[in-house]
Amino acid sequence: MFPRVTAVLVARHGGDRLRHTLEAIGTQRRRPDVLVIVLSRPEGDARELASAAGATHIVESGEALSFGDAVRAGERVLEPPTDETDALWLLAEDSAPDPDALGRLLATLVNGRTVAVAGPKLVQWDEPDHLVGLGRTMTRFGRSVPVVPEELDQGQHDHQSDVLGVDPAGVLVRHSVWQSLGGFDPALPGVDDGLDLGVRARLAGHRVIVEPSARVRFAGTGVAGPELGRRASVRRRRDRLARTAALHRRLVYAPAAVVPLHWLSFLPLAVVRSIIMLLAKKPGAILGEFGAALGVMLGGANVVRSRRVLAAARTTGWSAVSPLRLQPDEARRRREAAAEARRIRARGRADDVAFIGTGGGWVLLVSVVASVALFSWMLGAGGLVGGGLLPLSSGLSELWRNAAYGWRDVGAGFVGAADPFAGVLALFGSVAFWAPSFAMVLLWLLAMPAAALGAWFAASRLTERGSVRAITALLWMFGPMFLAALADGRPGAVVAHLLLGWLAYAALGAARSWSASATAALLFAAVIAAAPSLAPALVVGWLVALAVSGRAAVRLAWLPVPALALALPLIIEQVAGGSALALVADPGLPFGSAAPTAWELALGLPQAGWGGWPEAIAAVPALAGLDVLTIMLVLTGLMVPLGLVALGAFLARGIRIVLLAAAVAIGGFATAFAATRISVAVAGDEAVGVWAGAGLSLAWLGVLIAVAVGIDALPRFRAGLGAVLVICAAVAVTPTLGALVTGTATVSPAAVRSVPAFVEAEAEVDPRVATLRMEPLVGGSLRATLVHGTGETLDDQSTLAQTRTELTDDERELATIAGNLASRSGFDADAAVREFGVSFVLLETTPADLGPAAAATAERARLALDGNAALTSVGETDFGTLWRFVDAEADAAATRVPAVTGWPAGLIMWVQLLVLLATLLLSIPTGAGREADRRPVRSSRPRAEKPIAALPAEKAAAVEQVEPVEPVEPVEPVEPAEPAEPVETAESADEAAPEASGAPVDSADGAHRDETGPEASARPDAPAEAAEPDEPTDRDGEAPDAR
Amino acid sequence: MPVERRRIIRTGVRVVVALAVGAVAVAVVGAAAVLPWPEHRVDPGEVVVAPEEAIQQRVCPGPLLSIGDDADAATELESFGSASVISASSPEDAEIEKTSLEAPENARADEHGAPVVLESQPGAVDPGMLAGAQSQTARTDLLGGFAAASCSEATSESWLVAGSTTLGRSSLILLANPTDVAATVDVRVSGESGPVEARSALGITVAPRSQRVLSLAGLAPNVASPVVHITSTGGAIAASLEQSAIAGLAPAGIELTGPTAAPGASLVIPGIVIGGESGVHADDDHAEGDAFPAVRLLAPGDDRVEVTIGIAEVGGGDGDSIDVDLQPGAVSDIPLGELAAGTYTLRIEADGPVVAAARATVGSAESATDAEAPADLAWFVAAQPLPETAVVAVASGPSATLQLAVGKDGSREASVTVDGRTRTVEVPASGAVSVPVRGRVVELEGVEGVSAAVTYRSATALAAFAVQPPGPLDTPIRVYPR
Repeated sequence: MFPRVTAVLVARHGGDRLRHTLEAIGTQRRRPDVLVIVLSRPEGDARELASAAGATHIVESGEALSFGDAVRAGERVLEPPTDETDALWLLAEDSAPDPDALGRLLATLVNGRTVAVAGPKLVQWDEPDHLVGLGRTMTRFGRSVPVVPEELDQGQHDHQSDVLGVDPAGVLVRHSVWQSLGGFDPALPGVDDGLDLGVRARLAGHRVIVEPSARVRFAGTGVAGPELGRRASVRRRRDRLARTAALHRRLVYAPAAVVPLHWLSFLPLAVVRSIIMLLAKKPGAILGEFGAALGVMLGGANVVRSRRVLAAARTTGWSAVSPLRLQPDEARRRREAAAEARRIRARGRADDVAFIGTGGGWVLLVSVVASVALFSWMLGAGGLVGGGLLPLSSGLSELWRNAAYGWRDVGAGFVGAADPFAGVLALFGSVAFWAPSFAMVLLWLLAMPAAALGAWFAASRLTERGSVRAITALLWMFGPMFLAALADGRPGAVVAHLLLGWLAYAALGAARSWSASATAALLFAAVIAAAPSLAPALVVGWLVALAVSGRAAVRLAWLPVPALALALPLIIEQVAGGSALALVADPGLPFGSAAPTAWELALGLPQAGWGGWPEAIAAVPALAGLDVLTIMLVLTGLMVPLGLVALGAFLARGIRIVLLAAAVAIGGFATAFAATRISVAVAGDEAVGVWAGAGLSLAWLGVLIAVAVGIDALPRFRAGLGAVLVICAAVAVTPTLGALVTGTATVSPAAVRSVPAFVEAEAEVDPRVATLRMEPLVGGSLRATLVHGTGETLDDQSTLAQTRTELTDDERELATIAGNLASRSGFDADAAVREFGVSFVLLETTPADLGPAAAATAERARLALDGNAALTSVGETDFGTLWRFVDAEADAAATRVPAVTGWPAGLIMWVQLLVLLATLLLSIPTGAGREADRRPVRSSRPRAEKPIAALPAEKAAAVEQVEPVEPVEPVEPVEPAEPAEPVETAESADEAAPEASGAPVDSADGAHRDETGPEASARPDAPAEAAEPDEPTDRDGEAPDAR
Repeated sequence: MPVERRRIIRTGVRVVVALAVGAVAVAVVGAAAVLPWPEHRVDPGEVVVAPEEAIQQRVCPGPLLSIGDDADAATELESFGSASVISASSPEDAEIEKTSLEAPENARADEHGAPVVLESQPGAVDPGMLAGAQSQTARTDLLGGFAAASCSEATSESWLVAGSTTLGRSSLILLANPTDVAATVDVRVSGESGPVEARSALGITVAPRSQRVLSLAGLAPNVASPVVHITSTGGAIAASLEQSAIAGLAPAGIELTGPTAAPGASLVIPGIVIGGESGVHADDDHAEGDAFPAVRLLAPGDDRVEVTIGIAEVGGGDGDSIDVDLQPGAVSDIPLGELAAGTYTLRIEADGPVVAAARATVGSAESATDAEAPADLAWFVAAQPLPETAVVAVASGPSATLQLAVGKDGSREASVTVDGRTRTVEVPASGAVSVPVRGRVVELEGVEGVSAAVTYRSATALAAFAVQPPGPLDTPIRVYPR
């Protein structure tokens, strides 16, 4: 009895693979009786090869058919099976059977009467000693898993026989069974089709076996089964198909009663699995996850058809299948193996920061001591005031409400977008939840240590030397713009400066891991929130980084998204209001300063006045004769060494990072200078300029990067030169330091309240009590503002309100009321009560230095208010003179915060929360081994010796490094011995060898920061190949196959 | 040696790059410093609020009072005649209501009248365009001379620079409260040796719509050069000071002086009328009495103030100047030197705020009955610059003259309308003009920044009052609602 075997070959791409496969079919010892070639949208020479192959039938389809559909198309031209033993041999163009494969497969079919499906052993196309598949099975929950992991084939699995399913390529299936089962499920186009066929065959009472002795070389180009590439897009597609298949099978296999339950669970499951994927640093799979869930949920007809097909052929119960599922202990063993593989992969990849070992502890200690010395007067304070500081709202709910789109409680109030900085403040305030205003004291006390550490860590990306890191940290901490921000009470600038160092640290490592890039994204958002003027420079930097970082661009792509999510409502409102430039306004309380000259900016001084030197020198009698020009020259002289060392960095190795530093420095300066030309916010009669300090912080960062590289490259005198630089920088900021130490700086401990005690007492009864505050200004004008409750808070502030180019109706009305109250007028003063619910009028104490016009206005207002019958005088307070409206009523309707309704508020909040939460989850480090390092090759130390030899070697290293390894996939047989080559080899004349196998590229001084992945020595048997510089580059295109 | 050469080339390239980057950095800084970069400055939103019109008030001090005429009641006050009060307004035909305040301390108020409040209803008079003045001639045994004063607005703070409580001088502080709420008044007196302690002068209550009179001698006895600082809370106060002098047994003049300009670094006293050659050189430290022209200065701050006093005759040249150092808190009477008869303008430039008023007498030894006694005295207070328009009431009196003086910033073409007849007067920069006035209502236009006063002078009469601009209370105010 000779069973008729019909080989169905599905071809698409043609080329060598198809040629080999056709040859392999032709050289079978047991030749198939019929050869049907199905051309599914053929490309290249597929059609020619097929017609030359001597096929019985050639079926061609213009569409790209799935393997199952293609086979079905091919089967349609066949005669119906005449005998039970008639079989179909399903082949793809990239599955080349060994000569005796068909014979052995057929033997199992002939010998085992109940065997309906026989699968071959699939091995890698190029490396036939590596297993690709030996049958598939399911876990108890239906997840499809291979029966044996992908590993080196030494015959260790050749005892396998009965399996639940097989991979579709190379399968021999009885034609009659194929027809009774209806072939592959069309709803499973690429993944799990073979497994599903096997399951249905089992349920129909047949057996499914693998025949390990029948070997088929398989390339996995996507004709049969999923495409097996390592490219991100291919992987994402595979993930989505796999998830679609799993969900579809779940609905098909489940008892009818629980199908709706499963259906309902898909979306919640997708959310949960997305969170897990973020933690597992696989953000790319999330879209596919939701796509799969929605696709299956909406594809109800497929499920109904598949269930009908399954039910029609089913003869036994599911219990027949269960022994063949993956057993729990085996599943656990595989999980453990995967975890072990991750550990091995992570080895050597963790940052070699060596915080304590390189003196980080000492830097921390010094910065803490400096901070305590400067801010000792702050210890015990409950809050800070002065400059741009105000208390924070006392309740957490209020803090967070102020961070979200909605009611902006500034002046008469309005509905609008929150400043992103309010979110940062809410975060700070939540840290000091018992008294949020104390968060500002904490910020000030911790600012210097936090800034120093940030710079230290950023420097750790550039150098191994503790001394250089310490110098960078101290210089960053003593940045003139940072100290000026601390002295003047500019919370935004302080936050921006102290986070810039950390941002540099995270961004320089963003290519390394999702965790670092997500952290960088959060820091990026916080820096831009705190200092929006930095946004243009940072976005340009991001675009440049995106352009030059090659494969790491994926990791950088998310960088601005959280910042955008936070700022988008504000951007839309400002752009719609026609004042896009207002977006760069510093958040918080507007606080102006004299614009510096370009020279001052170049010295790092963010405001006019030469860093306070003229005043400081005037106070010292011995130096009183020095004129400003001398001071300017001396200050410049103090900064010159810094500039020289920075320029000297160009002579060091690694010119790219120095060019980057120069670009950052110049960009920062340009930002700072542009800031001095722009005033968008208004406080009273003053147009408040954008503070130049934030841009200078960026410039300082660039200079310090160059300085770190420059000092690091010096053969000796590093510490000495560093000390000179630190001393010069510290001397240059002596006046600011002095002001901080003596407590004469603008910033000072807060008074307990910001409104008179009388108003505060009233606010306990009526939390929204409104006070009209009048402040005489230089020139005799009046500033009138409305405050509610216990006064303005920092988180209340809104740049939207500060930067409006036109007064609102409310503001005009308020001005009219205030102007009339401050005049002898026939005006109905009770309008203030009616329109704004004002209870109190506070005429602020006028400092003498405001001049006679302000004093006259104060006098006029006092006289008018005194003489106004609608008001009764409360008396003098710490803040000025207070009057109360006779007709004031508690809890006036006009003072209440209207409920903000409508969809935008909710939508904005949820989108922002979603983006931030996703980034936060992604930023949580969950093990370096989960993800691939996408850094481009770092050639910071190009060798002087053999640059030509090194070039291809580096490229080879890149290929090696960018090969990610699927964490969920089985362990590969890694020999972790000798992960890193001896240092000497890196410097030896023949460098190509260690580099081709992934050794650290920069190892001039034994720097092994580049991890040596497990790939490094995965193939200890191929040194000869690696020694040829050209070979690895050839493998570029097929890297995954290479192992 | 290709390697050596490579190294040299590369080092050279790097040096060039370093220099290039350095040059770029310098160029960027230089470009920032030199090029005219565009600016974006937002315009702070402001609202100029013109207060809605309200009742306008001017308070005239009321008839001159004499103290202690009756030997049985040495502190008893009484009037001895009534003052003639006139009012002026723009528009002229506006209805001006005249009401009298209560003057409980004046035993003969029913007979001679009391302080008069001029009131216009809202909208009847242009803002600030209401004025009043009074004049009175004294001819009693103890008091003689001519006094004129303007009716002023009630304020919460005023400086009276006049008076003396030495032998033969008596000074009364007249406090009028035209408002409907009681005023709590603090009176602080400084003398030539500094502030005078007078606790009884703090917290004086002036009942609504009434006048209260204090004897300066009771607060600060035997002070030759007092300066009185009056502050009130609650109701506002119109303050004035009546000074009379007796030389021997003969009356030697009387004057009613209104508040001088608020402390400032730059003051103008327009139209000081000097009767004759009776001056004392400015350096003369021992000048006694008040029979010579002098300027009284006080630096109310806490710092020493250097003052330059410029004296220029109207229509004359630049004149002389006197430099003085003022100790804080101590009043100085600076003799103006020997001046020819005429009208002078005093310009005071200081490096700190000062208050000032000048004093002059008329009727010297030849014409008076008593050998040394002058016939009348007058105080010329500093006048604040006027707004664009002003209205002046000129009370009846001998040779009423409108004095206009302007600062350095430029000349003015002032149009002066006296009882409907308009003439144009050119006031040169840093100069002054005198305009004789025959009429009762003077309207001024184009006088922004001009200081003005009205002076009266005859052989035995000398008086002056400054034309103070309306208080700022009903002028438009600039409000920034952010």
